[in-house]
Amino acid sequence: MELAIDAKDLVKNFGNVLALDKASFTVRDREIFGLIGPNGAGKTTALRILGTLIKPTSGTADVFGNDVVRNPEKIRGIISYLPEEAGAYQNLSGYEYLSFMAGFYVGDGDTADDMMKEAKLISGLGDRLGDRVKGYSQGMKRRLLLARALMMKPKLAILDEPTSGLDVVHAFHVRQMIKDYADTMGVTVLLSSHNMLEVEYLCHRVALINEGQIIAEGKPEELKEKYTAENLEQVFMEVTRLG
Amino acid sequence: MGSLTALIIKEVKELIRDPKILIGVILMPLIIFPIMGSAISISQESVQRALISASFAIYNEDQGLVTDAFLEYLYANNTVVPLQAASLEEAIAAFQETNATTLLHIREGYSDNITRGLKGELKIYANLKSLSIAEAGTTDTLGGLVNIYSYVLSITKINTLLEQVGEAVDARNVRNPLTVDYASIIKGTVLEVAPSSIFSIIMSQSILLPVMMMVMLMFAIQMAATSIALEKEQKTLETLMTLPVGRMTILSGKLAGSIVVGVGGAISYMIGFSYYMTSAFSFAPEMTSMTTGDVGLGLEPIGMLLLGVNIFITLVSGLALAISLATFTDDVRSAQSLTGFLILPVILPAIILMFSDISMLPPTVQWILLAIPYTHSILASKAAFLGNYQLVIRSIAYIAGFTVAVLYIAARIFSTERIITSRFTSFSLRRLLRRR
Ligand SMILES: Nc1ncnc2c1ncn2[C@@H]1O[C@H](COP(=O)(O)OP(=O)(O)OP(=O)(O)O)[C@@H](O)[C@H]1O
Ligand SMILES: [Mg+2]
Repeated sequence: MELAIDAKDLVKNFGNVLALDKASFTVRDREIFGLIGPNGAGKTTALRILGTLIKPTSGTADVFGNDVVRNPEKIRGIISYLPEEAGAYQNLSGYEYLSFMAGFYVGDGDTADDMMKEAKLISGLGDRLGDRVKGYSQGMKRRLLLARALMMKPKLAILDEPTSGLDVVHAFHVRQMIKDYADTMGVTVLLSSHNMLEVEYLCHRVALINEGQIIAEGKPEELKEKYTAENLEQVFMEVTRLG
Repeated sequence: MGSLTALIIKEVKELIRDPKILIGVILMPLIIFPIMGSAISISQESVQRALISASFAIYNEDQGLVTDAFLEYLYANNTVVPLQAASLEEAIAAFQETNATTLLHIREGYSDNITRGLKGELKIYANLKSLSIAEAGTTDTLGGLVNIYSYVLSITKINTLLEQVGEAVDARNVRNPLTVDYASIIKGTVLEVAPSSIFSIIMSQSILLPVMMMVMLMFAIQMAATSIALEKEQKTLETLMTLPVGRMTILSGKLAGSIVVGVGGAISYMIGFSYYMTSAFSFAPEMTSMTTGDVGLGLEPIGMLLLGVNIFITLVSGLALAISLATFTDDVRSAQSLTGFLILPVILPAIILMFSDISMLPPTVQWILLAIPYTHSILASKAAFLGNYQLVIRSIAYIAGFTVAVLYIAARIFSTERIITSRFTSFSLRRLLRRR
């Protein structure tokens, strides 16, 4: 089976900060894969490389067989990227924002109307979509952006901390949507999080990242078994202690 | 709908709906200028009314036929307050009690002096109560009356003298033996118009054009910088950069969107400004009776075209510069302070060239000005009016070269990861400046 993501020995330097230090991991097609680790571990850096926003200093990464450095345009056609802490255009309505975004994807499959219908469903914002984004709460914005990222049913959705800043109810809704889209629409999901429990519930497979290095990769159950831990949090503490 | 169109529409909506931009760029000029205009015309009208109703006081210490005739002339069409006083001091004190703004003092011996062929001495006191322009005007009114009378007196005197020697000459020609007529040569055509009146027409054009260019440029630069910084601040740029749309399309969308709003701002500025000009100077109709077309300085179609090209590439270069600079910042505030540095090269040539010609300046200043691309935008627009198309094209070529260079830099920045990763906050900007 073709790999959705194949990252090999990714290194990224920002001046003298080593954000990624020979990180390698693979994501399979139609999988929900979680990249977990503490603040500053290099999660966003890895996702940005795969989202073709930045280039690795060394190492390679393929997205469905396309090299991120040589074929970024191909990759942009099949992925969607949800930045961490992102906003939407303040002076557009939620509806205008979504239809602006949908415009870039029409032609390969769904019509703009189909996408808008999906987006309404995912965001759960109902009539509030007619309001300017300026007046949205943190949670409403995050749901609007998630709807934007999933409405075109990309082959790969890269979601940087999709539930950050959300309360229990909103986080639950978002997780449910991600699961649905992966299961029923054939969307592969790569997400990052510091919330190990959320990842354990959501992800088929995970990679633990610390100081730019992947320190463990596998199914949550396998990892728990391997390190005789009750949950991923304990696995993480165990691995960093050993490392 | 094409991606570029969608990007431009989004850009324009986002900018125009921003209350700061809507009010500051579009509405402000439409409100401020008419208010300024009516304020000026109201004060001008009040000055005129003050002039018409102005009265002056007279303190006369002389007796005689000549004085009587003079007084008759003064009383004829004016509101005069006669002062009876024992001394000049008393008269001055009494004068200050009246509404009159000026006092005419006719000294003893005035009549005598004139009949004996000496100068008749007068003195005008102005009571400056409010130090306003109206007061200066009323002083001038009385002075003007005296001058007219003086002229008439001299003509009468000359006539008497001429009769005595028996010469049949017009007294006015003796008083003013020379007369000068002016003509101006423009673009090889001789026009029976004084150069000073042509300059007054050109002034309005040559001031208006640099000002308009400058204003439009500043608006567009602010616009572009704000819109990039907003995208960075809210991380919408990151989303945009991962869409299946070329980086050049994104850059073009930004440029075009800012141009649309910048031009909108410039148009509303011009509407407001022309309203201001007409309402503020409505009392001076002779200013508007001649146009540049009348004196052969109108724009020919080719000049108009070149002027348009000039304005367009100037705008594009300013925007590309603003966008390039703004990409180094992380938020709107630091983007605006960084692009604030662009004001100098835009304003400097505009102000200098408004009042002088480049060839009149010292050579070092000339070189400095000529190195600034925006100087050439202004030179080109002036030359377009004078029909000097060679100069226009040379200037346009210079700006175009600069624009291409800046666009190339902006495109480079847009196609690398710098636009995502650079973290230039107002804090790091301040740190950088301090280190210098
Ligand atoms: N543009 C940049 N310039 C300089 N250093 C950077 C830049 N982006 C990231 N870094 C550094 O690289 C390291 C990894 O950052 P990254 O954002 O990938 O971490 P993260 O795992 O996403 O953390 P968080 O959970 O806080 O989002 C950090 O030390 C960070 O300071
Ligand atoms: Mg992060």
